[in-house]
Amino acid sequence: MTFVWGLLWGLGAVMLIAGGAVIGVWWERKVAGRIQLRLGPQQIGPAGSLQMLADVPKLLFKEDIVPDGADKPVFRYAPLAVFAPIAMAAAVIPFWAGWAPFDSTVGVLFFLAVPAIGVIGILLSAWGSHNTLSTIGGLRAAAQMISYEVPRSLSVLSIVVLAGSMRPVEIMDAWRWWWVPLTLVGFVIYFTASIAEMNRGPFDLPEAESELVAGYFADYSGFRWAIFMMGEYGAMIVASLFGAAVFLGGFRWLPGIAGFVVFIALATLVITAVMWIKWTFPRFRQDHLMTFCWTVLTPLALLQLVVAGVVSLWL
Amino acid sequence: MAVTPEPVRTPATVSDEYPAGIKGVIAGARSILTGFAVTMSKVRTRPVTIRYPAEKVTVSDRWRGALRLRGVLGRDEVPLLSSMPGEHNALIDDLHRSSRLPGCVGNCPANVDARGQSFLIADGRVADAYALVRERNIMPGVLGRICHHPCETACRRNFYDEPIAIRPLHRFAYEEFQKIRPDALPVLPNTRGKRVAIIGSGPSGLAAAYDLMRLGYGVVMYESEAEPGGALRSGVPSYRLPRDVLSREIADIVEMGLELHCGVEVGKDKPLAAIRRETDAVLLAVGLQQSRILPIPGSDAEGVIGALEFLWAGNHTGEAGVRGKRVFVIGGGNVAVDVARVALRVGATEVRLASLEADDEMPAHPWEITEALDEGVIATCSVGPEEVLTENHRVVGMRMRECLSVFDEFGRFSPKFGEGLSDFACDVVVFAIGQSAKLDTLLGGTEVMMSGQSRLAVDGTTFTTTTPGVFACGEVVTGPGSAIGSIATGHEAADTIHRFLQDLPLDDEARIRRPVPAYAKYAHVDLSLVEDDRRRADMPFSDPAERSQDFQPVELGLSYDEAMAEATRCLRCESEVCVGCTFCARTCPDFAITVERDDTPGERCLTLYELDLTKCCFCGLCAEQCPTGALTHTGQYELSFFHRDLMTFDKGEMLRDGGGDRATGRDGIVSPVCPSCEEVER
Amino acid sequence: MTEPRDTAVAPETPVPVVDDNGHLIVNIGPSHPSTHGVCRVLVELDGEIVVKAEPIIGHLHRGIEKMAENRTYLQVVPLTDRLDYVGSMYANWAYCRAVERLAGIRVPERAEYIRVIVCELQRIASHMMAIGPAGADTGATSAFMYTFWQREMVVDLFEALCGARLTYNYVRPGGVASDLPDGWIERCRAFIAQHPAAMLEIDRFLFGNVIFRARTKGIGVLDAADAVAWGATGPVARGSGMSWDLRRDDPYSVYPRFDFDVPVGSRGDAYDRARVRVYEAVESCRIIGQALDGLAEFKPGDIMAEAMPRLLAPPPGDAYDHIESARGSLGVYLVSDGSVRPYRMKVRSPAFCNLALLPLLAEGHTLSDLVVILGSLDPVFGEVDR
Repeated sequence: MTFVWGLLWGLGAVMLIAGGAVIGVWWERKVAGRIQLRLGPQQIGPAGSLQMLADVPKLLFKEDIVPDGADKPVFRYAPLAVFAPIAMAAAVIPFWAGWAPFDSTVGVLFFLAVPAIGVIGILLSAWGSHNTLSTIGGLRAAAQMISYEVPRSLSVLSIVVLAGSMRPVEIMDAWRWWWVPLTLVGFVIYFTASIAEMNRGPFDLPEAESELVAGYFADYSGFRWAIFMMGEYGAMIVASLFGAAVFLGGFRWLPGIAGFVVFIALATLVITAVMWIKWTFPRFRQDHLMTFCWTVLTPLALLQLVVAGVVSLWL
Repeated sequence: MAVTPEPVRTPATVSDEYPAGIKGVIAGARSILTGFAVTMSKVRTRPVTIRYPAEKVTVSDRWRGALRLRGVLGRDEVPLLSSMPGEHNALIDDLHRSSRLPGCVGNCPANVDARGQSFLIADGRVADAYALVRERNIMPGVLGRICHHPCETACRRNFYDEPIAIRPLHRFAYEEFQKIRPDALPVLPNTRGKRVAIIGSGPSGLAAAYDLMRLGYGVVMYESEAEPGGALRSGVPSYRLPRDVLSREIADIVEMGLELHCGVEVGKDKPLAAIRRETDAVLLAVGLQQSRILPIPGSDAEGVIGALEFLWAGNHTGEAGVRGKRVFVIGGGNVAVDVARVALRVGATEVRLASLEADDEMPAHPWEITEALDEGVIATCSVGPEEVLTENHRVVGMRMRECLSVFDEFGRFSPKFGEGLSDFACDVVVFAIGQSAKLDTLLGGTEVMMSGQSRLAVDGTTFTTTTPGVFACGEVVTGPGSAIGSIATGHEAADTIHRFLQDLPLDDEARIRRPVPAYAKYAHVDLSLVEDDRRRADMPFSDPAERSQDFQPVELGLSYDEAMAEATRCLRCESEVCVGCTFCARTCPDFAITVERDDTPGERCLTLYELDLTKCCFCGLCAEQCPTGALTHTGQYELSFFHRDLMTFDKGEMLRDGGGDRATGRDGIVSPVCPSCEEVER
Repeated sequence: MTEPRDTAVAPETPVPVVDDNGHLIVNIGPSHPSTHGVCRVLVELDGEIVVKAEPIIGHLHRGIEKMAENRTYLQVVPLTDRLDYVGSMYANWAYCRAVERLAGIRVPERAEYIRVIVCELQRIASHMMAIGPAGADTGATSAFMYTFWQREMVVDLFEALCGARLTYNYVRPGGVASDLPDGWIERCRAFIAQHPAAMLEIDRFLFGNVIFRARTKGIGVLDAADAVAWGATGPVARGSGMSWDLRRDDPYSVYPRFDFDVPVGSRGDAYDRARVRVYEAVESCRIIGQALDGLAEFKPGDIMAEAMPRLLAPPPGDAYDHIESARGSLGVYLVSDGSVRPYRMKVRSPAFCNLALLPLLAEGHTLSDLVVILGSLDPVFGEVDR
């Protein structure tokens, strides 16, 4: 029975991410368009809103190219290894008061640890492509994602300290509005590290278009490529939902259904901010990225943790 | 538009550094905020791109899209510039404003449709060509021999190789017309019941007479000489203009209803006042009758003679009293050259032509000078007359002073003389330095005013004199000029008379002045680069040594084949009908164009026009130099095709309407075929 | 020098990925988003550090110099369009100056003014293609769009002028192809009125940005001595502090009549090379403003030397003339044998000389920097390969 439920929940998570990616791509194209003095998609549907309905079949019907020198099984199934952990992470997000799809006592740990498995998928796809540029991209991704796990975890830890629990549902119950100013630095660190984690600009070195063409998924086409795209948007959606919940209070601002709307609105805001940043700033270089992580973000996250710890003494 | 530019100063060095320490960190953080601010400001502005289909309307009118032909030989006719008298200026002005006036027509004082002439001759319709030319040039046969052809100077073909032989084609048209002429020419009836008298039967008078007759007036012409023709008969030597041609063409006009009275000197034989009573309007087309003679020492001696008197004698009697004598002609114009050449023919032993101007700035036409030199005339340039040397009141020589420059820096006539003097021995001195009118007999006892000595008071635009009902045209108005220039004034004067007789205002907004376009000066083309079949037909000349002895014609005329080939050379400028001149194919840097045509008279057709769009680089050189304006770029920018073969445009494809954005109509649609080709195939 | 490599590897032959020193061999290009054309850079990487970068050119070789020998002097002009296709006007002009020098043609002053205007507009358009991609190479795609919009306005002006947006074929031996259309001067003034402000915004947005500075400062440093030694010209040399601009130092056409500054850098890095172009675009606006004012003195329509023959056949001899293109000193050498076709044409291409610096500049930097350095040299491969 649990298995059936799990299957259903898994399907739900995939639907959530796929639907989110469809809307997210359209929204990103609109945001990028406006930032770049363009209109974005506009031909299909009102304001181009049905653009993805045209794009998804196109991706489905495109030829699925497997390069000659590629390690074929690895190449074929690596996209799943990228996508699945992200879908799994969606399970612990507290959507409603006292309810999360997977209500785990170590939910926060689950959330932080599971997506990191995606690194393996990226490495596999990079190596499986048998392509120098992909390999460089994969190695960059591995270094970057593992490194940024540290400040990201530390920043979430300050919330855990304040709430005194690692169970997302309990964190939401314990949440107080003044946590927002208190953990603002933590949220910024979480936000920045999450961008690095999801390989989006200005931390999109693994796929750096101008250097590595598309990095680890340069050789992918058709729907396998679309799975990478969905993984990226999924990571963005999941990280934004989780951040909007634990750092910004999610549904706690208003009771009932209104709270849920606020939660989604906050998450959308965070997603939009991610897009805004991507279309505003140039890309880091690998060494700058690492320096930034270890000399700026990690100490700041530790500082935030100390502040949260000290405050929690009076709770 | 009203944005004032923000003053931006370039720094001494562009290597901008952040300050050291914490200030640098702040500057860095601020740059992040600046980034957000800039992108946010862009989000707030209206996007500058537009919805895709709207882009079509923004294509510039100079857009170099796929090519098309507006018209093509064999399918589209060249419009003939034919009109009723008085309406020609409007026609020409209209073409000029729309930049569709061919150079030959625009540069002709009378706007003779030389383009139409070539078109009709090449089509084998020579009689039509003659009729078309006669509309604006009353005597095509005469002008075809003596005209100074400004049309050929402006011919677009100068740019490519050599101009069309328009003047010889006039002559050819006349000669062909004489072979097939009808027994009786149609008489132009006096439909309006009014009569106009014209004094003088020179080119301007005849032109005015023909226009007035076409408008339905009766015309009476008075000529003081025994035979009509004016300066054409008394001044132009018969080796250039055989008298039978002149007589034939004037006889044609008489046949069409002109009432000509020769040997009547108005003012003496019949007073002008009487003529004014008999008719509704009078046109003075008397020309210039007197030669100017410089009042230098000895100019009253025996043996000094004016050019007009000399030519009159030479032309009418074949004797000018210079047989066996040395003739010294003063002047550098065409009259001087005529005098020199006539002098040779009437038996002068040595003829010397002395001009004030240097040899390269003599006002006479260069071809006339060349012909004269061929015949043995000696030219002495850059000298001005100083004194006629006399002995017993008889000319024995001429003393000339060297002339340093004729024109000042503004191009005005202001000769500067040097110190050098030279003497030339001669027996006769002919002054060919200008002419003036002799009007005292004619105007004696009338109220028509003269301005100054021997000049008629006349309006140069409307050709009215001080007396209503009396008009003037020709050289008496313009001063010495060309025959075709006189004819042009005749047309204008006829228009004025028509307006006067219809009680219309003589000059108002509705009356359109003839535009005088300026044409680009053409460079001399290196003819070694030009194939033989592109060259102009050479006019054959009689042998100089032989012809200088008598008055036999110098130019022998073009043969039928030469003339037909010459007419096909015409590019039909600005007609927007492709003639298959192949200059687009020659200009194309990518060799993308192939052109072929069939020159059979009556079936002239562009048989092949192929544009290989796969080679076309859209440089625009072909359309830019297309003389007819038939080849143009369209606004089409969708250059995608379903098959490579479709990218070779054939003639039908080239003739498609240039509308829309797609470059071809052949994806599924049968391309239109030239109708004349369809007939040929059938 | 590297030993010649066999570039025509059969598909089934395994491509060596790692060389004997354990260095990774990476092909950047010929199809790559940031090679600014079809350039192939063969890179030897130690980790991400470039040990050796070797540009392999010739992918866009069309033999234009040879083709010119088979075209009349006028027909060569469309070929020169296709040299530097980002700045066609320059190649047009340099070629026409050489022809005019060869044939002794005097160009009307109005045509010279129009040439200056269109070429300064072209400099702006071309620099937008260098500044924007400098952002795009580092991932700032929005800056690319902003500069591209500026370029778009210039290209619209050109479209109104000559009907083409890329290969203009506008400057001709003896003058220019057509006079300015109605209302063009006003449109041009409106453009130069807003352009400096737009450039300042780009300057703040991109060149002030901390990440962009980190990416470009100190990257690919070229000192002035090397710039001279390698024959670098244009913004590349000026970024290294070499104040050398043909418009000022070997004045041609009507440039001596205009007042303008020549921006220079002092460190010679990718940042300076890119930012020099920002201020050059601003200075171009100054020149255009002055030229538009001066244009009023001349008779409209006087744009072509008098009595230009259709087929030019210059007397036997040779001529060289050079102009300051957006990329540097662009020279054309022509030899005539007295016929209607050039006997020989040789183009001194600034993009080619500047590209030669790439191995020197890239060594020791990372793969990411290689792209930035290549972008800062702003090569156009139509001109490099010819």
